[in-house]
Amino acid sequence: MISKFSLGILATAVTLVLGSSLVFAGGDDTIKARQACMKANGAGMGVMVPIIKGEKPYDAAAVGAALGAMDKACADWANFWSADSMNSTTLKTHALDAIWKDPKGFEAAGGTYYTAFTALKATKDEAGFKAAFGDLGKSCGGCHEKFRGPMQ
Amino acid sequence: MALLVALGLFAFWEASAPQPLTVADIPEHTANVENGKLLYNIGGCISCHAPGPNVKNVGADVPAGGKPLVTPIGTLYPPNLTPDRETGLGYWTDLNFINAMQEGLGPRDEHLIPAFPYTSYTHMSGEDVLDIKAYLATFAPVKNAVKRHEIWFEPVVRRGLGLWKWVGFDRTLWQADSTQTASWNRGSYLVHGPGHCGECHTPRTLLRSSDTARMFAGGPHPQGRGMVPSLRGLLARGRYKDAADLVLAFKNGEELGYDKMSSGGMGEVRRNIAMLPDADVAAIADYVLSLK
Repeated sequence: MISKFSLGILATAVTLVLGSSLVFAGGDDTIKARQACMKANGAGMGVMVPIIKGEKPYDAAAVGAALGAMDKACADWANFWSADSMNSTTLKTHALDAIWKDPKGFEAAGGTYYTAFTALKATKDEAGFKAAFGDLGKSCGGCHEKFRGPMQ
Repeated sequence: MALLVALGLFAFWEASAPQPLTVADIPEHTANVENGKLLYNIGGCISCHAPGPNVKNVGADVPAGGKPLVTPIGTLYPPNLTPDRETGLGYWTDLNFINAMQEGLGPRDEHLIPAFPYTSYTHMSGEDVLDIKAYLATFAPVKNAVKRHEIWFEPVVRRGLGLWKWVGFDRTLWQADSTQTASWNRGSYLVHGPGHCGECHTPRTLLRSSDTARMFAGGPHPQGRGMVPSLRGLLARGRYKDAADLVLAFKNGEELGYDKMSSGGMGEVRRNIAMLPDADVAAIADYVLSLK
């Protein structure tokens, strides 16, 4: 016969397990969201880099769409770096703990990126786009050098 | 028992003894400063020998030493490579320099910590090593006495390194492969010798020597956390389309959207590679992409 006491223990245990998995899921969701942002950035690069390299002609609409998709996927950027997303038992993350140890440096690197992104988005023609692109790429590197681990 | 211990100590002392080169090992050579500069750049010497935070009025590109290098064995303070006579290499002879670069021995025949990658530089030609010395001599001397390394039991570690060298230090000079192109061979030399790419990109054995059977298959990060990627099968894995693609990546990095070469310290290495003449960058790409 199950006593009230053991039911109580069971209920507590279930609550704890569910609760902690929810906490983990919170961190994991954050990791997934920022990885989706980075994936979108990669896809955007896939549209823009061939233009920079001269493999494809400049196409204002395609560039605008790429930058728009990057903007949308990364709109929640400020919430991508919660402390519970530093590590995950289920997901692989390349984010380094430097992000949380040096929040000022990380914010500055993010700011440099956003400035370059905004400047690129404001360009209207091929010459402007090509002149502004390098700064965006460099600012990606600014974060990846210090705050991301090696990619295998 | 006492005898066994004594024998063991004797064996340790003998096996760990330094084996310096002698004057007879120095090649006849007229130094080529330009070549020295090129090798200095591919070696990325400045990455470790950068001026420490206490050095004032010295450019970040002057190898005045002292920038702390945090490693799993402790914090190291890489030495001053400028020709200052008290605190730099001012009094170093060619023999001192060759012994450091190719035998891992300091001027008092002490074993040098292999965070200084003499395990790769040993494969270089003596002429190239002397060219690097000639290039270093062109810097204005900077007075900067760097701090002592902060490692446990330093004298024991240093002598113990002799034993480590005895077991796993491959001193052979780099050999050309006559079945390959000149560019491939040049790339192979730069990668194995001055570039010391294998120090990070090759796995290590239990004794922490390079596991040459798995050359460039990816290794432990020198700062103790995470892995450095494999350089094998970069084409098959779709990382790069061809040698021209990898050359663009080396030269431009993220400015052209190549984001795989930024992290873990490779961003700085890439900028060093980008300083090389075009033919050498292409040679490195040819060689690296041939690794299956």
